[in-house]
Amino acid sequence: MSVQNQQPKILILGTLSGGYAGADSTGQSHLDYPANTYILPVMSPVMFPPEFYLRAFERGIDGIIVMYSGTDSPYKVEAEGTAKLINRAYQMMKERGIDIRRLRLAAICTVCVKPFLKEVNQMNDLLKGIGFVKDELAGRASAMAGKETAHG
Amino acid sequence: MPENQEPRIGVYVCHCGGNISGAVQCELIAKALKQLPNVTITRTDESLCSDAGQSMIEADIKELGVNRVVIGACAPMLHEQTFRGAVTRAGLNPYLYQHIGLREQDSWVHGHDKQAATDKALRLMSAGVAKARLLQPLEPIRLGAEKHALVIGGGVAGLRSALDIARQGLRVSLVERSPFLGGRMAQLESVFPTEEEARKLLHALIEKVAAHPDITIFTQAEVTGVAGYVGNFNVHVQQHTRGVTNENAEALMAACSQEVPDEFNYGLTQRKVIYKPYAGCYPSTPAVDWENYNGEPISLNGKQVVLKDEPKAFELNVGAVVVATGFDPYTPPQGEYGFGELPQVVTLPHLIRHLALTKNGQPLQWNGRAIRDVALIHCVGSRQVEGIHQPQADGQVNNYCSRVCCTATLHMTAELHKRYPQLNIFDLHQDIRTYGRGHEEYYRRTLEDGVRFLRYNGEELPKVSAAPKGDIHPVLVKVKDRLTYGEEIEIPVDLVVLAVGFMPRDIHGLEKMLKVSRGADRFLLEVHPKLRPVETAVNGIVLAGTAQGPMNIQESLSAASAAAAKVASLLGRGHVELPPFVASVDEHKCNGTGACVEVCLYEGAIALQTFEENGEQIKRAVITPANCVGCGACVSACPNQAIDVQGWTLAQYEAMVEAIGADMSALAEVAS
Amino acid sequence: MDNLRIDALIIGGGIAGMQSALDLADQGFQVALVEREPSIGGRMITLSKVFPTLDCCSCITTPKMSAVAHHPNIHLLTYCEVQSVREHGTGFDISILQKPRYVDVSKCTGCRDCEYECPITVPSPFDRNLGAYRAIRVPFSTAVPQKAVLDPEYCLWCGKCEQVCPVEAIDFTQQPETFNIEAASIVMATGFDLTPMETKKEYGAGKLHNVIDPLMMERFLAPTGPYGRVLRPGDGKEPTSIAYVQCAGSRDETLNITYCSRVCCMYAIKQAMLISGALPMAEITIYYMDIRTFGKGYEQFYQNAKAMGVEFVRGKVASIKEDSDQNPIVKVEMTDIGEIVERTHDLVVLSQGIIPASSPILRGGSTQAVSLPLGSDGFIYVPAPDSAPCVTERAGIFVTGTAMGPMDIVDSIISASAAAAEASAYIRENGNRVEAHKEALYA
Repeated sequence: MSVQNQQPKILILGTLSGGYAGADSTGQSHLDYPANTYILPVMSPVMFPPEFYLRAFERGIDGIIVMYSGTDSPYKVEAEGTAKLINRAYQMMKERGIDIRRLRLAAICTVCVKPFLKEVNQMNDLLKGIGFVKDELAGRASAMAGKETAHG
Repeated sequence: MPENQEPRIGVYVCHCGGNISGAVQCELIAKALKQLPNVTITRTDESLCSDAGQSMIEADIKELGVNRVVIGACAPMLHEQTFRGAVTRAGLNPYLYQHIGLREQDSWVHGHDKQAATDKALRLMSAGVAKARLLQPLEPIRLGAEKHALVIGGGVAGLRSALDIARQGLRVSLVERSPFLGGRMAQLESVFPTEEEARKLLHALIEKVAAHPDITIFTQAEVTGVAGYVGNFNVHVQQHTRGVTNENAEALMAACSQEVPDEFNYGLTQRKVIYKPYAGCYPSTPAVDWENYNGEPISLNGKQVVLKDEPKAFELNVGAVVVATGFDPYTPPQGEYGFGELPQVVTLPHLIRHLALTKNGQPLQWNGRAIRDVALIHCVGSRQVEGIHQPQADGQVNNYCSRVCCTATLHMTAELHKRYPQLNIFDLHQDIRTYGRGHEEYYRRTLEDGVRFLRYNGEELPKVSAAPKGDIHPVLVKVKDRLTYGEEIEIPVDLVVLAVGFMPRDIHGLEKMLKVSRGADRFLLEVHPKLRPVETAVNGIVLAGTAQGPMNIQESLSAASAAAAKVASLLGRGHVELPPFVASVDEHKCNGTGACVEVCLYEGAIALQTFEENGEQIKRAVITPANCVGCGACVSACPNQAIDVQGWTLAQYEAMVEAIGADMSALAEVAS
Repeated sequence: MDNLRIDALIIGGGIAGMQSALDLADQGFQVALVEREPSIGGRMITLSKVFPTLDCCSCITTPKMSAVAHHPNIHLLTYCEVQSVREHGTGFDISILQKPRYVDVSKCTGCRDCEYECPITVPSPFDRNLGAYRAIRVPFSTAVPQKAVLDPEYCLWCGKCEQVCPVEAIDFTQQPETFNIEAASIVMATGFDLTPMETKKEYGAGKLHNVIDPLMMERFLAPTGPYGRVLRPGDGKEPTSIAYVQCAGSRDETLNITYCSRVCCMYAIKQAMLISGALPMAEITIYYMDIRTFGKGYEQFYQNAKAMGVEFVRGKVASIKEDSDQNPIVKVEMTDIGEIVERTHDLVVLSQGIIPASSPILRGGSTQAVSLPLGSDGFIYVPAPDSAPCVTERAGIFVTGTAMGPMDIVDSIISASAAAAEASAYIRENGNRVEAHKEALYA
């Protein structure tokens, strides 16, 4: 058995009443999509502080799609609250030199098969173009190092 | 307790009878995961959900001291509960178990690339193991449950549900929007296949419901708000005034002159705004139609009486809710088969009422014209095809079969033939779907009666137009008949009857209040058609009858009784257990910032309380589990990471993400 | 065995009987479920995947089987037959025959050592006789209970199983035993059989080599099936042209079965879709009169099959013969073109209809022991289907699932819960409920 470390990795946080169920619906329809996608069920992504996404990128996750239920969520705070948290994450990503397109927020419902596939394929295509997050992080680090030298 | 010991993780990968093992190399995964710290045993099985599979897991817990279980199988929605049961039977806390979906989210979607599917399974399972190390035993939240159910809808399904729930020793409140019980069934004359009188059957049921001491009926009442959760729903109801009393009702009704189209007869007749839909209705007291009443005084015995609606609002505390809100017959848009343009084009429900209004022995007429030739067209508003049919308001077509219309049409055809043997009847269908017990009889009987059956193709619909001037028939139907090899046949007729299908009903935002969802067909959605066919995704809210999809009376009755059985199981004991996935505060980390209280939108879920510790007054957040929904807004808000949702902790997610991102080559090496 | 006193006896351990038992037991009633086969699961456990979700069938069935087996309020009585039912007060006295398994179930661990040692191979009815098992065996891999059963018809009494059994569970001396149950109510969930192939002479009367019944196809398609692939039983060849003949034993006056069997359209379409997956090159034709895809999500399923390339030909098949290579030849009047044509296929599946399991055509079953009036279609008579769909002519006896007529799994499950609601209300209203009620261990 060998593993495919050369593929960028997409983490999907799917709500039980939205994205995770949508992924199950896609499976029930037996529709193919890229396999470098790792879906974790969540009650609501409003629980994740912005730092969580940053740490995920540092751990080798190249793209994250938060598939929440948005305004259809059983949780009143989800739609607005998650958007706020993701916006804060975008700020922090910019500061770290991470392409903010690597983090996406999408509303996916339990039978949203087509939107699910669209999101996954879009992210996969994007990552093919912009490559691994570790390269961005390394580039940033060397640029920082360069700066320090210049100042020193 | 085993759960407090060092984690000893059992990892199980299910073949799912080839469904998973067809794409994922389960044995390799088992071998690789065996290398991970804390993993005591890894196994694969043909079918873990079978009794043998479950027993294997139970044996490992008892004999090998496995104290955390990770299972890779189908979607957790299907079998998480099954395995929680197995783990519990072996004496382990049911929440020391982690389920990973390897079928719907892996083997079924990556079957073309077995290497990639296996690779993904390995990472997902390894994430499961990472979470398992951090699992803590949890106890369900046990809540008292009201032995009282709310049934929304007073049609045949709602009535049956109410009666069956009450027969199980529970109290029932039945809320009906209209002033009278009976729903759509009251508008029918006879039912198939027994040919019994619809209203006679209905009233036998209504009498039992009305007489039952544990059922309270609220007519002209609507649900305006729903709060709470299974066992303890708080429902706000608004009920309109009946407007008349038993004493003055008949006199007022007689004196009232304002008339509106009578919806009971689909507008074929007029009725007053103080009305009874039909003789023998329940309740028998007339009611005021507040939507249409113009507010003008009615003169009664020389007095001018102005009727006033003074709605009263009240609350009901119930343990479960049955949604029996019914359906609407499809209304064709203007021009579909000439509907709304040619007066001789009507729907089947219209004809049922028209026939009921036509006395026995009277000739069959429409708009004063004798009817000698009639065509009935099936599948109007059902089995619609994108690009052929005009979409509904929401842009979708009704691509489902409405199930009832074929037999209902032939039932009507048989009735027409019986009453008017001279009538020429043409039946235009795609397929005849007389599937039920005794239904095929109608097909055979109408064939023997000489009804002419013509078969059209769903993509080449019949055309209905005004007949050329001078024709003795007003309408011309053209159909390419598949039974005569696609020949175009012209049928001049006096009346066209559209066998309209079922439409999901606009229930005025009720589904939002109840947080239940609709399926692709826009009818209310069950959890799973076989595992939990009458339950919704919201615990304690069940479906009965045609709110869920097209059904005939018999099927509605069965569904309604099934819903009652679920409610009885749920509330019979007087308490319910809820999953323990609610916020919990680490009192060592909490320093009372109150950030959590600020973001929480749930009344009474979290509050700051003052404690005295070592002589100091300190503030700390405290959770009320019954009011907490576990959304986790407080988790991301807490600056001290002092709150977590039990069973879904941030640390568990961090560990899972780390496992997914990790370099797996060493693990995979061992397995090759 | 001690006599049992219970609230409800469920006759039949298929999906309908299991669901009724679970719904009653979840409400705290004491239930006994009697099944004449050595395992519960009924017809459903033998199926491959189920329409319209294409869920793996055993994934839906096995958890219910397991829940029945583990429920503290359910007494599971497998390999038992109801011999007689007598009214007794407001309840019933039921005499039950326990057939000998020749295995002590209290000792047997289901290890299958006996099965591996047994020298006798027997055609397996679980696999529609396409596969084989041993004269002593655990009936099938997901059987409940996981206990061996010995088939005395084939056993040579060689004793090898007895020697190899690690727990001394083999008992050749077992005799049939009769015991009594006192029950406050009864639910009939006796299920269905297929219309026998032999009765339709025009379709070869079961003698054609490559004409099979739909349950055989289920076993070909099931992951647990005998071959793990679709093949022609005549010669083992992989078929490339497969035809379904609809209404083969339903809506047929010559057989006196005039009703629609309700499930055949959907199972044929489902099998066609599964075959398309297993044999992508195969051409599949469905000969039909009317396609009756009336359930929730069914019409869309039919349209998907059409889009996938399954050929739907309208026409009643007049006859089936075979050529010298045992290829079935279907003679059909294609009504769309008005021609009678003969088409040769590699394999034909007869979409046989549903008859009651207790049909007089077949061996008698529990229905006769319970002596309930039957309808003209042979299924248990329901006097008031539009007001009480599960209530029979005899007070306290209810009916569910295919015992009351053809129906699919979804409708059977709903009808089973409805029968449970009727039975539980009856038990309460008659006030003779059994006292001890345990709570389920898990929800």
